Amino acid sequence: MKYAFYPGCSYSSAAGYKESVDAVIRVLGIRFDEIPDWNCCGATVYPGVSEKDTMLLGARVFSLANKNGYLEIITGCNACYSTLRKVLEKLKADKAFVEDVNRRLSVEGLVFDDNSKIRHVIEVFANDVPEALWTEKITSGHKGTRPGFNKIKVAPYYGCQLTRPWNDLDPADMLEQLIEKVGFTTVDHSAKTMCCGASLAVPHAKETRPLIKRIIDGAVYNKADIVTTLCPLCQFNLDQGQAATGTAIPVTYFSQIIGLALGLEPEELGLDKLLIRVKKDVLHGRNN
Amino acid sequence: MKHSYGKRSMKTDPELRDSFYNSPHGKDILRCIQCGTCSGSCPYSDQMDYAPRGLFALIRDNEMAEALSSNTLWFCSSCYQCIERCPQEIPVTDIVYTLKQMAVEMNTMPSGLKMPDFYAAFADNLVHFGRVTESLIMAKYGVKHPLDALKNIPLALKLMTRKRMDIKPQMTKNRTSIRAYLERHPQPPDTSGEKNS
Repeated sequence: MKYAFYPGCSYSSAAGYKESVDAVIRVLGIRFDEIPDWNCCGATVYPGVSEKDTMLLGARVFSLANKNGYLEIITGCNACYSTLRKVLEKLKADKAFVEDVNRRLSVEGLVFDDNSKIRHVIEVFANDVPEALWTEKITSGHKGTRPGFNKIKVAPYYGCQLTRPWNDLDPADMLEQLIEKVGFTTVDHSAKTMCCGASLAVPHAKETRPLIKRIIDGAVYNKADIVTTLCPLCQFNLDQGQAATGTAIPVTYFSQIIGLALGLEPEELGLDKLLIRVKKDVLHGRNN
Repeated sequence: MKHSYGKRSMKTDPELRDSFYNSPHGKDILRCIQCGTCSGSCPYSDQMDYAPRGLFALIRDNEMAEALSSNTLWFCSSCYQCIERCPQEIPVTDIVYTLKQMAVEMNTMPSGLKMPDFYAAFADNLVHFGRVTESLIMAKYGVKHPLDALKNIPLALKLMTRKRMDIKPQMTKNRTSIRAYLERHPQPPDTSGEKNS
């Protein structure tokens, strides 16, 4: 399996996201080809500055992948996902603008293909990796299964922009299904798709505290050991935001816990980069 | 306080409303039944001058200048709860994006708002480098909001110990083309002395 990968600007400094995705795809035999010379998609900022500019930023990303022979791109960031998906929808509905875009992209020898698609990394793990491969890699234990890992109780957190405004994630409980498939116990809570504050969380820290507390408190109340996320900004906000909420539940990426299930070491998965680290007892399933 | 955005608007309320109604989803707000589901679903409505329902009422009442200078636009986090729940299927978030664009274009933001400065710092970084780097955005934003910058020093130090702070700017090789694509950005980049690879 081989995909064009769009890291986005937050990926490399995210707490072990890159490390863990790289480690997991290596075990699963998947290749992510980084889109060469990719640019920022504009995130949730640029659509508020200029619609046209956002379209061009997105079209350039897709056309770079197209040039390398890929129609589909994969990203690990919810904001990149929604921004690029919206660009796609608008471009597909406006042929005249696509012509204009292509005329401008031709300076770089690029052409936007309106059959382009975008998906999130979790969709690759959940929908493309065959059941048998998971079973093989987990039960055989890539490096020997970590004893007790399956006692770790995980609170799933989707954030906003993978599920909304489309409401077509298939299956809708993809994250729960995936983390259960690899052997963890999931904990139900009511804030799985509530907003973490996004880019407002640092400039408006005080005003965002209730949002973060709402999500974290649900996970703590339901006795989760860790929260797991799908987006660099969600992870960052829920991790650093707890300095002000009086809680200390570790917030990981889904790829990090999948790595644990595959028997990879916490350090290979960048778990030492979390501000709130996962305690050794939790990692060894000794806390219950 | 001097803003780095464009010139302050001289348009009248009816003119502004006309240009809003002519935007892709502008007329959709005429379907609004003022039920307030959007306002009740919005995570930041308690911080807003007018939550979405009130904002739409203002626009329909021809109070465009008031709508465009409200802090509402800058407290939208793009969580899309309002769109999901609106019984009239009004794309609220997209409409807020349109209003933001109008506010940026005509510079109707009241001074002292944090997010327009954050957006300017982000856009400036993007235009310069083709990619953005969080530490650089925060540094630029911090010049205008030194108190916020000071408050975040402990966090910055913690991130450094976890090797999560990129100080070096991430950048795209073909930055000149990207700049040529972008028609509008708050601060034109100063390209003097910079070589493109």
